[in-house]
Amino acid sequence: MALEDFRADAMRCTRCTYCRWIPFDLVKSERFAKGCPSIEAGQFHAYTAGGRLVTALSLMDGRSTVTEKVKDSVFKCTLCGQCDVSCKMCRYDMEPLAAMRELRFHLVEKGHTLPQLEPVLESLRTEFNMLQKPADERGDWAKKLKVKDLTKEKAEVVFHAGCRYSFDGDLSHVARLSVRILQEAGVDVGILGEAEHCCGGRAYGMGYKIDLMHSADHNLRTWKAAGVKTVVTPCAECFHTFKRLYAAEAGSAVEVVHMVQFVDRLVKEGKLRFTKAVPMTVTYHDPCHLGRQGEDHVPWDGVEKKIFGQAVAYDPPRPRYSGAFGVYEPPRDVLKAIPGIRLVEMERNREAAWCCGAGGGSREAYPDFSRATANERMEEAAGTGAEAIVSACPWCERNFSDAVEGGAEPMKVLDVISLVGRALGIEQEA
Amino acid sequence: MGSKKEGLIQIVGAENVLDDPGTLEAWSKDQSLAAPLSPWFVVRPKDAVQVQALVVWANETGTPLVPVSSGGPHFLGDTVPSAPEAVIVDLSGMNAILRIDPRNRMAVIEPGVTYAQFDAALAGKGLRIARPLAPRANKSVVASLLERTPTVIPRLNYNLPEPLRTCGVVWGTGEVAFTGEAGYGPKSLEDQWKRGGAQVDPKGPGATDLMRLVTGAQGSMGIVIWASVRLDVAPTVHEYTFVPGQTLEELTGFWQRLTRTRLGDEVAVLNAAQLAQLVGKDAAEVEALRQELPPWVVVVGLAGAALFPEERLAVQRKDLDAIVQACGLKRVPALPGAGQADVASVFEGCSGEPHWKIRYRGASQQVFFLSTLEKVSFLVATVQAAAEAAGIPSAEVGVYVQPQHQGVVQHVELTLPYDPANRKQASRMKAVIAGASQDAIQGGAYFSRPYGDWADMVYARDADARHLLRLAKGIVDPKNVLNPGKLCF
Amino acid sequence: MKEISRDAYRAIEDIVGPEHVTDDPALLDSYAFQWLAELVRPNLSHYMPRPWAVVMPKSTEEVAAVTKVCNKYGVKVKPISTGWYHWAAPLKDDEPTVQFDMRRMNRILEIDEKNMVAVVETGVICAQLQAEVMKRGLNINIIGAGCSTSIVASASAYFGGGPSSYFLGSNSDNLLGQEWVTPAGDVIRTGSLSSGCGWFCGEGPGPSPRAITRGSLGTRGGLGVFTKCAVKLGPWEGPPVLEPKGKPPAYRLPIPESFRVYTVGTPSFEALANIYYEIYDNAIGYIFHRQFNLAGADLAAALWLTYLDPKGTMNDVETRSKDPEVGKISDEARVSFQIILQGRSTADIELQDRILDEIIRRTGCFKVERFCEQDFAEFTNMYLQRMGHKHCNFIWVGGYMGSWMQPGTPDFVKGYVKTAIDGFERDQKSGLLVECGGDAMMGCGSTLGGGGFFALEQFVSYDPNDDDSVRACIKHMEDAIEDCKKNGIPLGKEYLYLQIGWTDERIWNDLAKMPQQFVLNFQRKIKEALDPNGLGDRNYPWIPEGWGKEKPIVTAEAGKPGKSAAAR
Repeated sequence: MALEDFRADAMRCTRCTYCRWIPFDLVKSERFAKGCPSIEAGQFHAYTAGGRLVTALSLMDGRSTVTEKVKDSVFKCTLCGQCDVSCKMCRYDMEPLAAMRELRFHLVEKGHTLPQLEPVLESLRTEFNMLQKPADERGDWAKKLKVKDLTKEKAEVVFHAGCRYSFDGDLSHVARLSVRILQEAGVDVGILGEAEHCCGGRAYGMGYKIDLMHSADHNLRTWKAAGVKTVVTPCAECFHTFKRLYAAEAGSAVEVVHMVQFVDRLVKEGKLRFTKAVPMTVTYHDPCHLGRQGEDHVPWDGVEKKIFGQAVAYDPPRPRYSGAFGVYEPPRDVLKAIPGIRLVEMERNREAAWCCGAGGGSREAYPDFSRATANERMEEAAGTGAEAIVSACPWCERNFSDAVEGGAEPMKVLDVISLVGRALGIEQEA
Repeated sequence: MGSKKEGLIQIVGAENVLDDPGTLEAWSKDQSLAAPLSPWFVVRPKDAVQVQALVVWANETGTPLVPVSSGGPHFLGDTVPSAPEAVIVDLSGMNAILRIDPRNRMAVIEPGVTYAQFDAALAGKGLRIARPLAPRANKSVVASLLERTPTVIPRLNYNLPEPLRTCGVVWGTGEVAFTGEAGYGPKSLEDQWKRGGAQVDPKGPGATDLMRLVTGAQGSMGIVIWASVRLDVAPTVHEYTFVPGQTLEELTGFWQRLTRTRLGDEVAVLNAAQLAQLVGKDAAEVEALRQELPPWVVVVGLAGAALFPEERLAVQRKDLDAIVQACGLKRVPALPGAGQADVASVFEGCSGEPHWKIRYRGASQQVFFLSTLEKVSFLVATVQAAAEAAGIPSAEVGVYVQPQHQGVVQHVELTLPYDPANRKQASRMKAVIAGASQDAIQGGAYFSRPYGDWADMVYARDADARHLLRLAKGIVDPKNVLNPGKLCF
Repeated sequence: MKEISRDAYRAIEDIVGPEHVTDDPALLDSYAFQWLAELVRPNLSHYMPRPWAVVMPKSTEEVAAVTKVCNKYGVKVKPISTGWYHWAAPLKDDEPTVQFDMRRMNRILEIDEKNMVAVVETGVICAQLQAEVMKRGLNINIIGAGCSTSIVASASAYFGGGPSSYFLGSNSDNLLGQEWVTPAGDVIRTGSLSSGCGWFCGEGPGPSPRAITRGSLGTRGGLGVFTKCAVKLGPWEGPPVLEPKGKPPAYRLPIPESFRVYTVGTPSFEALANIYYEIYDNAIGYIFHRQFNLAGADLAAALWLTYLDPKGTMNDVETRSKDPEVGKISDEARVSFQIILQGRSTADIELQDRILDEIIRRTGCFKVERFCEQDFAEFTNMYLQRMGHKHCNFIWVGGYMGSWMQPGTPDFVKGYVKTAIDGFERDQKSGLLVECGGDAMMGCGSTLGGGGFFALEQFVSYDPNDDDSVRACIKHMEDAIEDCKKNGIPLGKEYLYLQIGWTDERIWNDLAKMPQQFVLNFQRKIKEALDPNGLGDRNYPWIPEGWGKEKPIVTAEAGKPGKSAAAR
């Protein structure tokens, strides 16, 4: 794809501004009607999906050039995809999220990059992680685990911890718990340790498509060598990258399962029983990459065609990623299955969830914006009366925890798998 | 003066130019406390052409015109000239009902059409018009609506000027222009009707709402030569029910819920003195009733129109009972001395003679304003206190609260009766009313229709309105020939 | 374009802060790019004139201060709230304009439950206010353009009708006190507000100052900036929070016991008028609207049944459109409308239901069976209660031009429908417009509180990404104007749209033919007084003095307020 491929999207944008809001049918209050973190920070219309389509058009047509403000408007966005959901409430011929990504690719390709991202990208290219940590420490989280090393052995399932779970000491217990649960369930699972590379999804969001391709190339080759058919990850970002981006950009056919999906399956099949009560009121935060962006990839190589004279359809029919079929219920069902847990919903949930603020390079490039976005979510979470905000993505959890440390609502920030660990009585082991 | 008379005669004919002392004396004052000022002439135009010619003539001669549509007695001072050399333009003879369009439930009427006349015309067609409380029989429908006199069915009051829709106006410049939807079409009603226009939409034309310039204007912006009004299907069953209370406060929540759910047709809050004045046939009866009636009552008209009228009534009764009960009140089917027919005549008919405002003590003055719910009791008490201080017992002061704009606005009207023969009391009334009004304004009352002395009080506080209204007036009546001296002009 | 001193920009930065003003070309383009622009701009450009700067004020004081700077430096001003329409942008290339983006003034200032009054700033959209007032058992009228629109804009400065106007009043009916910054930079308040008595009343004192700006179409940004207003609220008997179910896009709102949701079919437009009058006379109904035909009568059933399927695609619409069973539904729903009843009690809703049945029986109409089934009825309920799917206007291909929409009585509307349908069918044969059948006419049941007055808008869909399709749409607009003229029908919305691209002289020449000129002269004088430096644009229209009375020889410059054509 190229920016020019999105010209029709831009020309057909009607500037309705739905992309600023959650789907209107779901609005329950004045306070939490907004859906777009970007415009809340940037204010001007250019900080919306519709605005970026116009920016793209304006640049393509030579009406304007890339200025610092333009860069700011293009990159100060978490790529959470809420706009994409809202736009598609009424449109079948628009792909705003894809267009926004393409605009970033375009800017990066033309050398309009953000210096703040350089250290992170350098880390990815040399240490294969986004946390600027030495590559050889990547497997440290699993040192005490007895688990197959897929650089030496083979297994059908690879557990991919991801950068954040691997290196973030506050969160790595989730990776260990996950492996333990997989093993308890009798899954033939292994890990790659040092040989596990960043999925590349975050670089892709930052506008560096080539880095995703490098990551995909490495990971897919490594998995193949290890005989892997399925990748299980507790990270929503990795999940999305493997499921959607590897499939779309690298033709991957590997099955991708998020850890909460796996646990949900075990619970529903009666293979996992929660024995310990966890008396706690929690609210669940849908990670963008597991929720609205977590829909299955459907291969498509088609063209636009006109029906009824001028209406737009596609030949063959184009898959419609509208957020309708994201992974919403498995984490909720798991939480509801844990004795003692009371799940309360935030106003903006599922396809309408407000972003944590960590995505799209925002955490790295625009920490203030990222924190403000997290604060907004924490405020919403606190309004439910829950003790804890629970999620299924380490990036969300890190951002929320940092927000709490920075003075946001003093709530616990937990991973679904942590609670599963408690309910199984194995938390301490991890 | 002679040449003026000749000019007028040329326009309306000698028989329609009156300047005999008796007539001029009668038009020099009204029941209000406005300072008397004799007009020089009273003219009776017969059509719009003559009205337009009069306004052109007034511009040429610099003569003030005071348009009047209703028969007397007048109560608001708006028909008493405030400038010398005035000519009263008596429009009561322009009383044609130009069109009744039952399918669209619209009528077009001239300014002289009275409630009595219009009621009779509508009765046979199964229609009615939203009306004020007990207007006098000779009250002009158009004038009543132009002055935003409150109407008694809140649920039909989608905006305060309802059911007024569009007007034909001779503006102060002498130009004729129609308001609202009618302002877009040819300047002929017949032509508009032929094209399917029914003068329904009050808005416009353009970015201006000309109708809202002539409403509340006391004839100072233009002379309305016709108006279109919305009609309603007349109920085939209609009954009144009453929810009495000891205080106004205990009833506030009740009538708020009624209007909020748009239950019932007529909804009005009256105190004993007010209801007594409305239904009592004479002073003695008013006096007796005043003592007999409950201190406060919410009158609720339940009506059934169109399909299933009886069933509509039954549902309303049931829903009403639920609200009454929830409010800890009781409803009663009748009040002592105020039977169904008496109340129906107040809400659906016209005042008997003499007019209810003067029936009790021979004269009365009104203080009325708009308010929000929570201020009503306080403002009523404020005016009552001023009356009491002036020797008018609170128990004799009529209080009428009329929810408007579907319950958003409360019209609060206090009637202070007095004996005009009692010189001491009569002479104090101007000061009493002024004081009470000032107190009410201080308390937050909105005098949206500032007659007489109220105008100075209101516009002194409201620079924005004064500025914009003077601007508009300067455009539509640059020589200030229409009722000069009123409002802020 | 004339050069504006950088001092002006700096002064504005000082007022709103540098982060709230921009003159970056790309950022400005996101304001210049507007729906419908391609229909009126040279070379079918999608851009209206680019603003000189975009300013985002946070307060009325900031709006006034910036406006004063604009007066000093000769910059025009044009506000937008949510920013949707070509006429929301600057209208002329050679006029430097500050575009006020009002989204930062986004507070609900007050909801007075007892008095049923809400006070809002311009950036508050209908969905937000509705969600809050519903918690208090109240509702607002949401205009036909949907819940993404600004309350202040529709109440103070635009048309203001919507599906619920029939019961809840139009936003003209509902407008109470308001606050306004004139083009001179003066802050003006109207109604009870200016008398210091709060927001609750929009009339008076004496004549109503709102008369100057709140007419039929409103000022549309042409005469300063409306910064706050209050609106009347109405009863809501539904749940305090809407809890839709299902997946996007067609969320479904469960129908409470006190509601009924129907699509009623009629055998003809004559019958539609007849049942309208019956409903009007019987005073039943909460929402009264003709919604689904926006997709065109031939395709509506296929589209909406597909829309109900979260996996549905446009290809499915094509498949469904060939299904004879769907064809039957199309025919059944061809001349249909939606009505939602709300009862204050069980007895009330049951009676309304009975009355509607009797009306349907008497008028030979019927309920459209498929559209009254639970899934579709719940979708209808969601759609019309929240009006959150307005963008479906653009569902075919992103280009929609609303034509006709001449308001009037049901009999009047019935009178122009055939011309509108025939003309649309004729022009669809080019293949350059979406071929959805000649009747893509939808509209609110009433644009006035209580009913009796409405309009049908023909939804013409074209591809904005295809110049030929854009040209076909323009031709259709011109054809529709000719059709109106030939048939003695007042001109419709397409005429208003096209005017945006015209020269002042062309507009004045047309205005001069209007049978009544009074209001145009009035508005010129108002402009002269309130906009002495001509900061507003012709969205608040006027006519130069003497224009049309003699051969028009004056220039546009002379037509500006303050310049007399006759004097030349």
